[in-house]
Amino acid sequence: MTILIDRDSRVLIQGITGAVGSFQTRVMKDYGTHIVAGVTPGKGGLEVHGVPVYNFIEEALQENEVDAAISFVPAGFAKDAALECIDGGIRFLVVTTEGIPDQDVMTIINYAASKGSIILGPDTPGLISPGKCKLGVHPDRMFAEGRVGVLSRSGSLSYEVGRLLTENGIGQSTVVGIGGGPLWGLSQQDILKMFQNDPETEAVVLLGEVGGATEQEAAAYIKKYMTKPVVSLIAGRTAPRGAKMGHAGAIIEGEEGTAESKIQALRSAGCLIAQSSSEIPTIIKKEVG
Amino acid sequence: MRLLEFQAKRLLSQYGIPIPKSILVSSPDDLRSLSSFPVVLKGQVPVGGRGKAGAIRMAAQPEEAMAITAELLNSSVKGYPVSAVLAEEQVEVKQELYLAVLIDRLTSQPLIMASATGGVDIEETARKSPGKIVTKHLNHLVGLPDYVIRYLAEHTGLKKLENFTRIVNQVYQVFRNYDATLVEVNPLALTPNGLVALDAKILLDDKAAYRHQDLFTRLQEEQKGSAKSGKTSAEQLAAEKGVTYVTLNGDVGMISDGAGTGMLTLDLIQDAGGCAANFCELGGRAGAESMQQALEVVQANPRAKVILIGLIGGLTRMDEMADGITSYLEQHGKSRPLVVRMCGTKEEIGKAKLQRVGIEAVDDLETAVNTAVKLVREAS
Repeated sequence: MTILIDRDSRVLIQGITGAVGSFQTRVMKDYGTHIVAGVTPGKGGLEVHGVPVYNFIEEALQENEVDAAISFVPAGFAKDAALECIDGGIRFLVVTTEGIPDQDVMTIINYAASKGSIILGPDTPGLISPGKCKLGVHPDRMFAEGRVGVLSRSGSLSYEVGRLLTENGIGQSTVVGIGGGPLWGLSQQDILKMFQNDPETEAVVLLGEVGGATEQEAAAYIKKYMTKPVVSLIAGRTAPRGAKMGHAGAIIEGEEGTAESKIQALRSAGCLIAQSSSEIPTIIKKEVG
Repeated sequence: MRLLEFQAKRLLSQYGIPIPKSILVSSPDDLRSLSSFPVVLKGQVPVGGRGKAGAIRMAAQPEEAMAITAELLNSSVKGYPVSAVLAEEQVEVKQELYLAVLIDRLTSQPLIMASATGGVDIEETARKSPGKIVTKHLNHLVGLPDYVIRYLAEHTGLKKLENFTRIVNQVYQVFRNYDATLVEVNPLALTPNGLVALDAKILLDDKAAYRHQDLFTRLQEEQKGSAKSGKTSAEQLAAEKGVTYVTLNGDVGMISDGAGTGMLTLDLIQDAGGCAANFCELGGRAGAESMQQALEVVQANPRAKVILIGLIGGLTRMDEMADGITSYLEQHGKSRPLVVRMCGTKEEIGKAKLQRVGIEAVDDLETAVNTAVKLVREAS
């Protein structure tokens, strides 16, 4: 079992005819993801790498069963695309787009919640369950099937750690990027809960970074509910205050945004703290054997 | 974008929220037309703590006002030059209130806050007696229901105030209509003539600038003189080219193709006994041109003795990254050592391209960091 997606998930691509959407459709298909349909307004009737393209979600759903969708739609149209997807009743949507206005993101997240859909992102690489399914842009060679769950705010950091785990013979159950923030659909806490309940995940790697207070929230959850070991790395120990470190959410404002306060919260929740990415495989081996 | 005080108050005023009478001046001579005294002179800079920094002053008569204005226009606050002064009528303040609407990151909902004890010490109030600040989450899909305003009025003890309801509503409208991430009125002053917004802080979402093109253009134009002084040439170049760049104190220049690995790289540089000269991140969808521009920016900092490029692409393609590096070298030559870590999509092609220009890219980030730190030591 994996979280959120599995080998049989039937996937729809929003923005399938764009450069990134079309390239990533091919890569996901090659990986074995079951892509059944794509949507780009005005491009209905085309085919992209053998996938039929529709003008509307509704039309795509008349001819296909869809379990999950991933959006490569540009920021200015991302809210509209997400609302269409939610109205279509698609239960799980990955929003990869970076730079969506905050008020649009609030609309997407709250509308999805009101309709019972789940949003991963925005500004996320998506997720990969190695060997089974990929709903995202991860460089798949860096990952291998196994029993460690990885969740990360940063895409690149999850590749870095995935690669080190794989090289050290430690496979992953699912690797999830929640996005660069500052607003998130699924939170660190939500993903932790899924890993805790997933029988095929034995340990969890939580990759956090400076800015905001989500790691503190995650720590509170871990302390109360997690029985599986959690190894955590917080990037940006040496980041200066007040500067935006690439991600919109990675800016230290106030005490809770600092790496120290996050590390302290996680440590007192019983997490094992890694100082660098290369320590993570060693700690996992010690914990899980 | 953080608005200057006069810009924020102009927006509020357009929504019918009372503000004091004022004129904006960029020279002491502009004050000649002023007839009502005393006047409050407020230096316009996009940072807080102006009062404590001496950028808000009082003048009882014209000569004094002109002298103070001249002084303010020659000063700066936390590195931001004062290029305009807001000369404002003094109002009689009976009580200082606080009112704000912002985005709560943990719930992805707007949060509204009000307090009967506002003013400069609001942060201390928040720390010491948080009960004095009444907060309520809104549902972004619904807006601002009347009962929330009644709730705020009741629990702050402000329920008898005329206009409170309308002002709260209008502050919310400004937040909503202009894609703000924060609209804060502090103090919202209770005067003999009712409630008046004495100072305001508004943050607009840059990601939504395309929806408010005319407004953003005007605001930016007005802020030209208030840009932080002392920008380095690398910072200026970064701003021109739209490259994410933060100046740091060390001598290892760095470029990364992800924010998370970029921050990790800074940490690893310090762990290896070095210190980064900057933070520079390309963002997920970067191509060859972004790579080349980032190199131009990072090498514009003379303190960067070595440049460390850390690449682990998902969306970024290593063949394109290599093209960016080689075309930079063709145009500018190799003025200092380059250390490249490369893995990810199309890495074989990328590495082969780099080999042709004499660069052996490594697979491992820590190896690359240690090499860069060692090279810096040897160079100094």
